[in-house]
Amino acid sequence: MNVLIVEDEKSLANEIAAWLKKESFLCDVAYTGRDASEKIAVNLYDFVLLDLGLPDYDGLDLIREARKSSIDVSFIIITARGAVEDRVKGLDLGADDYLPKPFALAELQSRIMAVARRKFQITSPDITLGEFIMEIQARRLKHNGREVEITRKEFDLLHYLVINHNKVLARHQLYEHIWGNTLDDQYDSNFIDVHIKNLRKKLNAHAPSPWLETVRGVGYRVTTDR
Amino acid sequence: MMKLQTKLALFNLLSKLVFSALFLGFLPLIIERINTHQTDNELINKREEVIDLISEVGIEPFITSGTDGDFGSYNILKEEFISLERSDLAEDWNFIEVTQRLIDDEAIVYRVLHYSLKIDGQTYLLEIGKSLSSITYAARNIRRVILIFLSIFIATTLLSDLFYTARILRPLRIITGRLKETSSPSFVNAEPVITSTEDFIQLDRTLREMMRKIEDLFRKEKEITVNISHELMTPVSVLRSKLENMLLQENIDPYLEAGIEESLRTLHRLKTLVNSLLMIARIESRQYLREETVNLGLLLNEVVEELAPIAEDAGVSITLDCNSKFSFSKANRSLLFSMFYNVVNNAVKNTPESGRIEIGGEESEGRFKVSVCDTGSGMSKEQLDKLFSRFSTRLDPQGDSTGIGLAITKSIADFHDVAVRVLSEPGNGTQFFFFFPVNSL
Repeated sequence: MNVLIVEDEKSLANEIAAWLKKESFLCDVAYTGRDASEKIAVNLYDFVLLDLGLPDYDGLDLIREARKSSIDVSFIIITARGAVEDRVKGLDLGADDYLPKPFALAELQSRIMAVARRKFQITSPDITLGEFIMEIQARRLKHNGREVEITRKEFDLLHYLVINHNKVLARHQLYEHIWGNTLDDQYDSNFIDVHIKNLRKKLNAHAPSPWLETVRGVGYRVTTDR
Repeated sequence: MMKLQTKLALFNLLSKLVFSALFLGFLPLIIERINTHQTDNELINKREEVIDLISEVGIEPFITSGTDGDFGSYNILKEEFISLERSDLAEDWNFIEVTQRLIDDEAIVYRVLHYSLKIDGQTYLLEIGKSLSSITYAARNIRRVILIFLSIFIATTLLSDLFYTARILRPLRIITGRLKETSSPSFVNAEPVITSTEDFIQLDRTLREMMRKIEDLFRKEKEITVNISHELMTPVSVLRSKLENMLLQENIDPYLEAGIEESLRTLHRLKTLVNSLLMIARIESRQYLREETVNLGLLLNEVVEELAPIAEDAGVSITLDCNSKFSFSKANRSLLFSMFYNVVNNAVKNTPESGRIEIGGEESEGRFKVSVCDTGSGMSKEQLDKLFSRFSTRLDPQGDSTGIGLAITKSIADFHDVAVRVLSEPGNGTQFFFFFPVNSL
């Protein structure tokens, strides 16, 4: 997938590009609004990661321009402005998602994937986790054809770990993904531990789950063979 | 408390009544003076006429040389009389007085002019009288007419006063109406009020100017939060992404990995802190919308569901008792969620194993009351006093939270005009009460 990163903070743009390239995205970078405007007009992108705080451009104008020229590209707004109405305005203009800085690169990737699934109507394949099968589309976890009763939050946690399989996710990253930024202040590492503990209990009632690892002092990881 | 219009009308009415009462009180005196003056003039005129007549035709036609030799003339109703008689007065008479006369066995009070005149060495006394009853009758008539006129005058001016004050005070009503309608300075109608009253034009101008200034302040504050957010979060974002990319390296040294992890955790705390402070600033500069209607029972239920696994793990029971269908309008749902969440989460953290947290919602004394009561460790008076100030809440044992949660709760409550009360004693748990204003019931 082709991604244009519009970000005036060069080192951030480069870090995002580095991460996405490792995840097999094709990345282009624009440090100014003018440069971005030209690149969007000329090249075909699937995604534009758009910083709103550009020195030479109102980021939202880039969305307006693209919509006017009926360029079919998905915008994900990344911003450090934190203005309440930016989100509303951006989504109203047709941005596909909004991610406040500072975000986890893993979170950015999962947002891109979510928009891509919606946009290209990709049906995610079922994922095998030991003796369990995770049906992403139906949001179900099955063991021997029988559904394992887990809560919505537990499913989301597991899903996020599965998307980022073989990577350690820190507790605060998991927390951020599940609770977003609304409950920022209440971040409590214990929350994630409790939910993982409950999830493990439910899994182990059916079969062992060695693929869901605790990485001491850091967080959790789902290991798959792929 | 009285409306300006009523006050003005009442004052006008009162002043007219006082004036009229004074006028009516002095009226008899005035009328009497006028009447006396006029009657005296009439009497003097009549005297001159009689004297003229005598000098023309002589005294003889009036004085018959009979025994009495007097002349007397009355009109039929005895309102007036003229008499002329011989007299042996030594001095000259020329005065007016009030005397009683007996005429046909009827005592009548007259105002009488006495005048002595000498003709051919003989003194004659001329008396001209006017009955006082005819004078007072006229005065009564005048008084009645004035009374009727005054009543009509007061009634019509009262009505016209009411109408006129209502009309000239209309701009004031428009201005207060506009102020009442607006929830934020930016929504104030910028159209000047149309009026010819200089005072209202000035009031309107001053208010609009003030609103514009306040709006300016809000806008600047908003810009400041946006800029602070941008300036602080951009470097945090750069650091975070760099560190996260470092962690992706294969065969990374475990010592390095742990260090990077710890840095990321610290960065997360910094982000959380900045976000919390910015959130309070945004709430206080009213950047959040209040456009939702929130069923508080459902909202509390969500909060409880959110925290139930944590409470269960800590061996703390949470119960929710709220049967009311109370909905709070003009609200921001996610802010209200945070408000309750912070308090309930705080209760979970501060309640030891096998403790209880009871959440209730009920209508009480025209307000909707939400209570969050725990059987936790409670707080001392000093802790209670500092409860809502930033950075001075109860210390979190894990050290994860920034201790700003309850300050956020308070600013969200203030933003929604929700009153908060906290009762607590060391060892006796803590009770939070939220009182929602009645107008949304």
